[in-house]
Amino acid sequence: MSATVSIGSAGFSRSLKKNQGIVVVIALLVLLLVFGGFVSDRFRTTNNVMNILEQSTGLALVSLGQTLTILTGGIDLSVGSMISLLSTLTSGMIGGDASMVAPVIAGILLLGLAIGLVNGLLIIWLKVHPLIVTLGTGAVLQGLVLLYSLGPAGKVPRGFTYLAYGKVLGIPIGAVVVVVLFALVGAFLTYFRLGRYIYAVGDDDAGARLMGLPRAKVILVVYGFCGFCCALTAIYLTARFGVGQPYTGLNYTLASITPVVVGGTLLTGGKGGVLGTLLGVYLISLLNNVLNFMDVSTHYQLIAQGLIVIVAVSIYVEKRRRV
Amino acid sequence: MVDVAHGKPAEFAGPAPSPASRLAPYALPIFLVLMIAVAGIISPAFLSANNISNMLLQAAPLGIVVIGQAFVIILRGLDLSVSSVMATSAVIATSFSGQNADVLPILLIAIGIGVATGVANGLLVTKRSVSPFLATLATMIVLQGIRFAYTQGAPSGNVPPLFRTLGSATWNGIPYNIMLLVVLAAVFWVLLAKSRFGREVYITGGNPTTARLLGINADRVTIVGYMISGGLAAIAGLVLSGYVGIVDNWVGRGFELDSIVAAVMGGISLAGGRGGIIGGLFGAAVLIVVFNAVLLFGLPVQFQIIIKGIVIVAAAAFYVRRSR
Repeated sequence: MSATVSIGSAGFSRSLKKNQGIVVVIALLVLLLVFGGFVSDRFRTTNNVMNILEQSTGLALVSLGQTLTILTGGIDLSVGSMISLLSTLTSGMIGGDASMVAPVIAGILLLGLAIGLVNGLLIIWLKVHPLIVTLGTGAVLQGLVLLYSLGPAGKVPRGFTYLAYGKVLGIPIGAVVVVVLFALVGAFLTYFRLGRYIYAVGDDDAGARLMGLPRAKVILVVYGFCGFCCALTAIYLTARFGVGQPYTGLNYTLASITPVVVGGTLLTGGKGGVLGTLLGVYLISLLNNVLNFMDVSTHYQLIAQGLIVIVAVSIYVEKRRRV
Repeated sequence: MVDVAHGKPAEFAGPAPSPASRLAPYALPIFLVLMIAVAGIISPAFLSANNISNMLLQAAPLGIVVIGQAFVIILRGLDLSVSSVMATSAVIATSFSGQNADVLPILLIAIGIGVATGVANGLLVTKRSVSPFLATLATMIVLQGIRFAYTQGAPSGNVPPLFRTLGSATWNGIPYNIMLLVVLAAVFWVLLAKSRFGREVYITGGNPTTARLLGINADRVTIVGYMISGGLAAIAGLVLSGYVGIVDNWVGRGFELDSIVAAVMGGISLAGGRGGIIGGLFGAAVLIVVFNAVLLFGLPVQFQIIIKGIVIVAAAAFYVRRSR
């Protein structure tokens, strides 16, 4: 990994390498689709496709934010607690009052952004690895949400569930938002200077610093955005379940990392992208769906998910930094 | 020759330290003593023999896991699979028999599962260059799945009475499990701080390139490190099952983070090559005292989590400042 990162242009070899991983994921997706068609007739129904899209939306939103933190060579382990806190606050503060919906949503989005920025600031100021910082803030946030409520809090008005179950041109609204957001972030990463800096910081932190890149700004943007994504996830999940509770996000901390890694983004940073993550999300949701149709218990689904991570990370071997 | 919180051999020491930084390695023990004193003043019940005995009982399983975690973190790694190893090995090993006569095979099966997990972790990290975080995360998930598939959600094993005694009984107020911790800590301290293998662990963790140039088989050292962590986690799982009295699907839940928090607090750097077992055990002690004090002061139990979060970030920041 040379210090002379080509900023602004992706570089042919890099984009080829990136696409190589994506080709593998697409091949697996197609394979699963064909396989699923054989397993059950109901698999091929539009209803089932909509179902998969609905189920994958929460994971997709949080994984989008996680992709950016991992691209910088960091990670955000506070996402699960953030989602729990924000979703509990959403239904808790709305309390079934329709007139509260708009201000609460705005407030939750701002709060998510703010918590993410705090993560970023702590990482910059303390110079402690993001893993430790977000592990700590995650614990604090989990404690706070449990202080706020030990169980499901408040409720949301009937219309609120439109966010999860409403449709645009027959497609679930969440799935549309996901595709648009991923496209926007993908364009940002490719065509904007700050987007390229995210890769540069992840590829060679010391080099990026020496070149005078605005490292602090990159970290703030990335963790702030990740917090914002957690707020979106929290609002979506609250709409889907009808209420938020202090363990809504529990599984999302680790689950958000799986699609990122399966999609070819390296944990060491600097390589990968959001397209891979989106395909990774669909791959995992599809796999769970097919396994459901095969009547495979969730226990084995867990094993399958772990094995997928092992296979994926073994395919995209992470380059060791040699001094 | 080994300082308390920083357990590294003296020959690795940098330039002559200033008086202030001479004291720094003792920061954690001093902090622990201060905390115990303050807690004792605020609530005399804290220092009662009963409460101290209770805290030791709770500290032992965590301490055993921290010893293994120390090896892995000094090797620039991290073992998230420990809690899964604890539960899975305990659930499977006790499913065959809960009799005292079968204690040895139960122990061997449990340790076998732990060590095998360690081998898998080590191979993924060394031969496939998978980051330790992901490798141990994946084995954690797989083990969890295996456990649930094996038990179909409801574990049926019983804890042999001997393990129950080991995990929860005391001898003149001194818990048996803390005696086990002391023995294990002594054995692995000698291995890490005094043996050739231990030196190889520090060199491999401190700088893999140097290790290679010195002819150290860094891959082998790393794999053995993960095996130690897995094996000790399995022992801790049985000890904790003995404390709880039943074998549960979630024995040791949260231990992966608590053990890392304790190690980091004890001066074991996540960057590798620094720290030692004794520091890690002091970290575990601080954690247990904090948990205990929170309850004793009548604070909501949620404060345990909040304080844990603040403590790990503060400790990591403290050691980052020191190492510069």
